[in-house]
Amino acid sequence: MSTLHVLSHSPFGDDRLTSCLRVIGADDALLLCGDAVYALQPGTAPFTTLQARGLKLYALDEDARARAIAIADWAEAVDYPAFVELSVHHDKVNSWL
Amino acid sequence: MAKSLLIISRQSPWSGPGAREALDIVLAGGAFDLPIGLLFLDDGVFQLAAKQDAKALQQKDLSANLQALPMFGVEELFVCAESVAQRGLDSNALSLEDARALSAQEITALIDRYDQVITL
Amino acid sequence: MKFAIAVFSAAHAPSSRRALLFAQAALAGGHEIVRLFFYQDGVYNASASVVTPQDELDLPRQWRAFVSEHQLDGVVCIAAALRRGVLNEEEARRYQRDAVAVGAPWELSGLGQLHDAAQDADRLICFGGA
Repeated sequence: MSTLHVLSHSPFGDDRLTSCLRVIGADDALLLCGDAVYALQPGTAPFTTLQARGLKLYALDEDARARAIAIADWAEAVDYPAFVELSVHHDKVNSWL
Repeated sequence: MAKSLLIISRQSPWSGPGAREALDIVLAGGAFDLPIGLLFLDDGVFQLAAKQDAKALQQKDLSANLQALPMFGVEELFVCAESVAQRGLDSNALSLEDARALSAQEITALIDRYDQVITL
Repeated sequence: MKFAIAVFSAAHAPSSRRALLFAQAALAGGHEIVRLFFYQDGVYNASASVVTPQDELDLPRQWRAFVSEHQLDGVVCIAAALRRGVLNEEEARRYQRDAVAVGAPWELSGLGQLHDAAQDADRLICFGGA
């Protein structure tokens, strides 16, 4: 069983990313959307943490573009059709509301 | 077979209707005899602190509803041990005695075991 | 694949727009949406009382058009809606309120509809927060 975790809050001043990384499983993936894509801002603690973890990481392309965040080459940009396919591919989706 | 649903409740009881509305999903599931679990995580563990006084804020007492969970057939109750420790709560004095304290690894396995998850 | 989509955030929240775009992409991808369920502040998405400035995205209108066009099952949690003043005609009459904010294609119903949809669907996808 694998879970697609979805985050949409900024990692700065919010503990969702930290909690999510604590419980995310080896077969799981993480999709960053909304302000959560700020985690891909180079030179920051969240960026370093995510890079070091080496988990399957996706970012919603429109949110990254809107925020002028470049998606690192160890993450994958997705659009909505790809978001849908990710949710089909994984057994469940856990959105951290 | 019915699909199982895990609710992860992350909000303190006094931050708005969020904690109560998360609990309402659990109670509704229990009322329909669905396999449902409830995990208290992050600030959600504050819902289990002892000696809270809802009247001080003219609120309804959430802990009374929490005590009713087993009566609604919701017996899969869990609490994140790390969240409890981080927030300085006494894990032996939580208001929900039936809630089982889980490590991060056990929470990973818990999420894996359920068919669906709602984290509020 | 059958999706149940639950929306927890107000119409002006980015996550509500994300929910609509996901739902559109799901249908476009040949998937089925068994139900859209609006809970917590998500009930505001069904409100016809929201007035959006002309040059901004009118999400409640887009939801209405989307649900009508595809004849989807759009359910608004009745308890959450009452708490937030998003009443349909029947509830406005019951509680003697002047303002009616919800009409077709929306239906006000209980949380059982969320569980029912989750049971029926292959995937439950929630949108909310930020």
